[in-house]
Amino acid sequence: MIARLASLFPVSLSLLAATPAAAQEPAAAVIAVPPLTTPDNSDRGAGGPAAIAWQATQLIASDLRSTAELMPVGPNQKDYYSYPEVTAPTFSRWRNQGAKFLLTGFVRSNSDGRFTVGCYVYEVNRGRELGRIGFAVNADDWRRAAHKCSGLAYTAATGAPAGIFDTQIAYVAETGGLTSRTKRIAVMDSDGTNQRFVTVGDSLVLTPRLSPKAGHLAYVSFVGGQPHIRVVDFDTNQQRPLVPTGGMTFAPRYSSDGTRIVFSMQQGPNTDVYVVGADGGLPQRLTASPGVDTSGSFSPDGNQIVFESDRSGSQQLYIMNADGTGQHRISFGGGWYADPAWSPDGQWIAYTRRIPGVGTRVGIIKPDGTGEQLLSIGPADESPDWAPSSREIIFERTGADLRPALARISITGGEARKVVTPQDGSDPDWSGVID
Amino acid sequence: MRRAMFFAVLLLVAEAASAQLPGLRRRDPLPPGAQPAPLLIGIDALRADFLARAGADKVYFGGDSSVLTPPAQATLQAQAAWLRQHPEVVVRIEGYADSSDTRDHALAVGARRAEEVRSYLVLLGVPAAQLTTLSWGKEKIAVLGSAPAALALNRRAVTVLVR
Repeated sequence: MIARLASLFPVSLSLLAATPAAAQEPAAAVIAVPPLTTPDNSDRGAGGPAAIAWQATQLIASDLRSTAELMPVGPNQKDYYSYPEVTAPTFSRWRNQGAKFLLTGFVRSNSDGRFTVGCYVYEVNRGRELGRIGFAVNADDWRRAAHKCSGLAYTAATGAPAGIFDTQIAYVAETGGLTSRTKRIAVMDSDGTNQRFVTVGDSLVLTPRLSPKAGHLAYVSFVGGQPHIRVVDFDTNQQRPLVPTGGMTFAPRYSSDGTRIVFSMQQGPNTDVYVVGADGGLPQRLTASPGVDTSGSFSPDGNQIVFESDRSGSQQLYIMNADGTGQHRISFGGGWYADPAWSPDGQWIAYTRRIPGVGTRVGIIKPDGTGEQLLSIGPADESPDWAPSSREIIFERTGADLRPALARISITGGEARKVVTPQDGSDPDWSGVID
Repeated sequence: MRRAMFFAVLLLVAEAASAQLPGLRRRDPLPPGAQPAPLLIGIDALRADFLARAGADKVYFGGDSSVLTPPAQATLQAQAAWLRQHPEVVVRIEGYADSSDTRDHALAVGARRAEEVRSYLVLLGVPAAQLTTLSWGKEKIAVLGSAPAALALNRRAVTVLVR
């Protein structure tokens, strides 16, 4: 049902490769983003290189504006520069505007009907190139090339992994009355475009979890009666139950290398955490305490798993080794802690905290149990998952109208921002860096 | 006339279902002699009879709890009495959590509540083979809102006659 990502061919740009990333800055650094340019003879019409160049520049600025580390200036029509100036910018002009970084680039139409998109990132003060990237794309794929340009600038400025803007978000799209919802698994590009459905709404579905490169998706389905985890392969559009069992399986999550899935299985009144190969095999039981152990999430190195357990009488966060040994509690702040998700950089664990009389809020805590911070103000926030940058969290927020929507918030603070989806949205899941 | 009698059945059903709701006052019972003959057939007739005789198809739980309260036990004793007389009826016990719970935990809690009811019915002599369980987690909310009374009405296990 879902077409895999369209082809995006890297092309080599004539100068030498990038220099190492600049040192990390605490405050947002200004990056000038003047409009990408075109060769002089370019088609100025709609769908031509000039139109794509303008749209691509707006998308790059929008990507960078969504980060805590970069503050884009532009694009402004008056800041046009010539094609040769792409690789020889007038640095003094940007220095005077207070820009620390500069992104230039071009869109050129090729004889085969495709476009070449090239981007360059400079450190303005030293007049030094920090990196470059180029792609030959079909007309429909310029957005992906633009996201790669954003990633280049973000990497040059912060040292964070490239590719974080060209990622995907899975969620549950909800329609219908609040007591009789129709739920469908949806996947969209992380810029909100290219939304498509994975399930058709004939069965209740929950908690989609993309594999790190978004080639597979695990989710919970009520098809056939008992809730159970199903896995979709987007290459073949085939799907299958994760494990053959008549019992309830739920709460799937991939390891960061995509080879394993941690999940929960109910037996009688008891629920425990298990792990199984992403391609199948015999599940291994990791917890054995009476009560509910669920919501497992791997550390990025795959050696540990954070999960929630009510073995102490209320839901709390625990960490164990990936073989189930060394289980120990890390949350002690009062109230209930649930839905843990380990950040891609390993530094933080996001969670939902239920505080009696207050509601639910999302927060972060370090794996050693220190540094706890509540990020969202509630009163009905839950299901956090990490942006691939490890600097933002996407979560579900239920409004006063009782309708769920997706929101994102920076871990450095500030207001949550709504993530626009065509229908109501719940259970968000953000992929890793795809390529 | 048929229409009037049908409404009477519905009233009786609504009355029975609300009997155990926390915070709601019981309405006055129907006048003596008003009990209509059942017009329903098959599983619908069985369901109506079950509701009328067991008093309620639902039991309710405390926050984060799957412990059966004395009123819940009384309801299940009445359900068990009916189920023992109808061993041919297949029953699914559906457990629910309230919307203040988190998604994954709610599934586990719904299962635990359904399992608690199943175990109690088996203890009371209902054949285990007659009973299956299912958790809806925090899906299919019965009463909207985050007020404590609304949440309490969603923390439930429903005994559903399947066939």
